[in-house]
Amino acid sequence: MKQYIVICLLLLSACSKEILPPLVASDLEVTRPVPGMQMSAGYVTLRNNTDEIISVSHVVSGEFARVEIHESTVEDGVARMRRLPELLVPANDGVSLKPGGKHLMLMRPADNLDVVSLSFFSGDTLLLSVEVQLASERQ
Amino acid sequence: MNARTIIIALLAGSAMAGGLFFALQLNAPREPVAAFVLPAPEPLPEFSLLDQASLPFTEESLRGQWDLLFFGFTSCPDICPTTLQLLSRVRASLQSQGGSPVPRIVLLSVDPERDTPEQLAKYVAYFGEGNVGVTGSIEEITKLTKALYVYFAKVDLGEGNYTVDHSPAVLVVDPAGRYHSGFSGSHTYENLLHDLPVIMASQ
Repeated sequence: MKQYIVICLLLLSACSKEILPPLVASDLEVTRPVPGMQMSAGYVTLRNNTDEIISVSHVVSGEFARVEIHESTVEDGVARMRRLPELLVPANDGVSLKPGGKHLMLMRPADNLDVVSLSFFSGDTLLLSVEVQLASERQ
Repeated sequence: MNARTIIIALLAGSAMAGGLFFALQLNAPREPVAAFVLPAPEPLPEFSLLDQASLPFTEESLRGQWDLLFFGFTSCPDICPTTLQLLSRVRASLQSQGGSPVPRIVLLSVDPERDTPEQLAKYVAYFGEGNVGVTGSIEEITKLTKALYVYFAKVDLGEGNYTVDHSPAVLVVDPAGRYHSGFSGSHTYENLLHDLPVIMASQ
C-alpha cells in the first residue's frame, strides 16, 4: 500500500509538471494603428514554466508584414528605441512587455484589422501562438 | 494628573496641531510637484515651419495660447502615442473641470523625412481635436529645439531603417510665445493635471 501511494504521488507530481505549458502569455494587447500609419505596438507578459531560460528569437503575425522586438528607454533625458536581438524569458519567471519598456513593434498592418495573431519562435521552434482582439479606439 | 486629564490634553493638543496644519495648507502657495519653471520666461527665436495643414508655423504661431510642446515622430509606436494619449487625457480633464486655460498640444516632428504635413494631420487628429503637428527642414526644426535645449538625433538601425532619439520632455510655451516651463520625463496624468493649472495661473 505504502509503495502504491508513493508511485501515485510520483505520477501526480510528474503529471502536474506536464500540465503547465512551457511558455504562457497573459495581458496581451495590440494597439490599434493610427489611421494611415504603419506601426502598432504589442504588449504581453510571458511566463516561463521551465527550469531553463527561453529565448524568443522572433515573432510572426498573420496581420502585420513584420514584427520586431524593441525596447524603449529613457536615460539621461533621452528617449531611445532599439531593436533587441532576442527576448529572454528567465526560468520559472516571466518578462513583461509594456508601454515605455520592451515591446513588440508591428509594422505594415493588413487592412481592416480585427483579431491579431502572434506566434513566438525560438529559432525554428514554435513556442506559442496567441490571438488577441485589437485594443479599442484610444479615448 | 489623572488619565482622563492626560487624554483631554492630548486631544486638545492634536486638534490645535491639526488646525494649524490646515491653516498653513490654505495659505501655502500651490507649487508644481513635477514641473520645472524657468526663473524668467525665454523668448523664442524666429523659425519657419509648416503645420499639419501645410500652413506656415512660426514663432508667432506660439503666441495667444498656452502650448504644450512635445517632440516625436509618427513612426514611433510606443513612447510617442503613449505620451500624446496622456496629454489628450489631461487636456480633456482640464476642459471638463474648467477654471483654467486649456493648453494646445503641439507635436514637433523630429523626423521630417517621413513626417509630411499630411502624415502629421492624420496622426495628431487621432489624439483629439485642436492638436497641431509641425514639421519642416532639419535646420528650421533645430532653431526651435536649440532654443528649448532639446536634443534629437537620427540613428541608423540597419536594413534601411532608422529611429530618432529624442528628448521625452513636454515643454510649456506661454501666451506671449516664450519658453516658460516644462516636464522633463516620466510624465504622469496626476502630475500634469496638478501642475498645469498652477503653472498657467502663475502668470
